[in-house]
Amino acid sequence: MSNEIWVIADMKMDGSIRKVSFEALSEAKRSMQSKIGGPLCAVLMGSGVADKAEALGKYGAEKVYVVDNAHLKDFNPDGYVKALSELVAKHQPHIVLAGNTSFTEDYIPRVAARTGSGLAMEAIDMGLTDDNRLTVKRYSHSSKAISEIEFKAGNTMMATIRPNTYKEEESPVSPEVINEQVDISDADIKVKVVNLETKMSDRPELTEAERVVAGGRGLGSEENFKYIYDLADVLSAAAGATRAAVDAGYCPYDMQVGQTGKAVSPTLYFAVAISGAVQHFSGMGTSKVIVSINKDPETPIFAKSDYAICGDLFEVLPVLSEELKKALAE
Amino acid sequence: MKIVVFVSQTLDTEARVAVSSSGDSVATDDVKWILNPYDEFAVEEAIQTKEKLGGEVIVVSAGPARGIDAIRQALAMGADSGVHIKDDGFAETDNYTIAKIVASEIKKIDGVDFVLTGMKIIDDESVQVGIQLAEELGLPHVSLVSKVVEVDASKLVCQKEIDGGSVVVEVPLPALITCPDAMNEPRYASLPNIMKAKKKPVNEVTLDDIDFDTLGISRDAVGKSGSKVTTVKIEVPVIDRKLKIIKGSDDTTVKGEEIAQAVQELVQLLRDDAKVL
Ligand SMILES: Cc1cc2nc3c(=O)[nH]c(=O)nc-3n(C[C@H](O)[C@H](O)[C@H](O)COP(=O)(O)OP(=O)(O)OC[C@H]3O[C@@H](n4cnc5c(N)ncnc54)[C@H](O)[C@@H]3O)c2cc1C
Repeated sequence: MSNEIWVIADMKMDGSIRKVSFEALSEAKRSMQSKIGGPLCAVLMGSGVADKAEALGKYGAEKVYVVDNAHLKDFNPDGYVKALSELVAKHQPHIVLAGNTSFTEDYIPRVAARTGSGLAMEAIDMGLTDDNRLTVKRYSHSSKAISEIEFKAGNTMMATIRPNTYKEEESPVSPEVINEQVDISDADIKVKVVNLETKMSDRPELTEAERVVAGGRGLGSEENFKYIYDLADVLSAAAGATRAAVDAGYCPYDMQVGQTGKAVSPTLYFAVAISGAVQHFSGMGTSKVIVSINKDPETPIFAKSDYAICGDLFEVLPVLSEELKKALAE
Repeated sequence: MKIVVFVSQTLDTEARVAVSSSGDSVATDDVKWILNPYDEFAVEEAIQTKEKLGGEVIVVSAGPARGIDAIRQALAMGADSGVHIKDDGFAETDNYTIAKIVASEIKKIDGVDFVLTGMKIIDDESVQVGIQLAEELGLPHVSLVSKVVEVDASKLVCQKEIDGGSVVVEVPLPALITCPDAMNEPRYASLPNIMKAKKKPVNEVTLDDIDFDTLGISRDAVGKSGSKVTTVKIEVPVIDRKLKIIKGSDDTTVKGEEIAQAVQELVQLLRDDAKVL
């Protein structure tokens, strides 16, 4: 085992690096690097990505391993599994961290299995034992419990981190760039993309957003979701939804928050016409401030909220959007 | 088509969750054990595939004796037979080892075309074990499949949601997919089918039947001491919220002029009390 800490740079569809990668670098720098002793490294995989190394240096990456390969374009987990597994086997890093995203959830488990690494996913807290083994806290049991996980020595320790858990903090260095050759052939790519549809939205991404406005079944139609989008735009917030709203076709799946959907931890979460089922709460219960708008005085979401208005959303939201607009302009 | 579904039994998290006296697990005295909800969608998808293409559905599960109930439920839904890898140590075993052991049993089944499992196990909140199972089986995988577009004897075309879009992929069979809720509507098991399920064959396997040498792990890998990661502590966080609920004068919804007042009060609270504006 080397004494390197690695952070995987996770990329968005538009090729920019996700904020959670910087959050992971910052946290590794703050609370792990001095104990473990080795360099803080980033791993940059993709096609045409070499110029992103500097951005990682800004958050403290002293070394950047780059795998630039045409097979790593767009959605291609098979290629990433191969590339990262080979790098881990070759360099034996002490710790590998990545943001928990739908993409890392898809391929990191395979890398852990292939390289015999321990893995804990969606950390909300991390630490090190006296002998520098990783510990991770994560939600379990539909977020009704928090499990503390301890790693064994002797293998690379891998963890993914829930976005918005750690603060990003600049700590600029000029990184040493190490180009790694990984042989990926067509035959390695078993899962082939037939069609890729990207939806570019002007709103922030759900998992990264500081504020989220989410709507539930009570919205009643796709058209009415405009009430949610209007409030979201006033707050520069991301827009979210419950499964009931997604299932009913009111909004796209990638807005779903919850046990199946995304886990979010914004500073401010608005739950509009949402009853607060355990599977929904599981995805937003770590929000700092929860506000709910619901017309049912007995709704379970009230007992899980900081502030609430018992009222009809169609009457309350337009007034609320206006008032917030004024308050924010002050 | 030979279809395998990997299922797990979990405790019902809709109920209260409490910490056990040892502090490193959840209390299981009064809990209800259920078929992992996401696995129901995998079983349903498997049965629909069988109904379309013919063949058989085999459910495989690793767990203690009570785990048979989860297998029987899948059989009552319409699966044909089961494999129960029975051991009390699995609850404390990491996903890495479970994937290896389950894979070794699936490999003993001849000519498997398609493997399905739930996208997550709700007690451990593990999304990884299904994907690691694919790795150990040497099969390609597609996780979080929102819709199977087309499946035949040699290939699978399916849709998957990704951050910032959705993607349709094609993968040759055999392959493994992980199933979210809402990809289909799991059928209820009728009483006659529940009765019939009791007579369907379930092959019981123990750790003695596992060839650990070939798996490259030792038998001690099953259980707490052998795992690469172990749970050392469980806490149940209390929901500690401000609970400031603004209601109308009749203790229900705000109406008329109350609406503007309520909104002003809320905005002021967000600004001055919560300081989030
Ligand atoms: C395995 C599994 C996984 C799941 N995963 C998820 C998940 O990831 N995310 C998720 O969200 N759910 C998930 N669910 C579903 C979850 O159990 C609930 O069914 C769902 O969250 C309910 O959504 P809702 O609150 O929008 O709808 P409802 O429970 O129907 O609540 C609607 C609310 O709107 C209020 N309302 C109606 N009209 C108005 C109005 N005009 N003004 C104000 N309020 C109004 C009502 O009072 C009610 O409280 C999952 C379920 C299962 C079994």
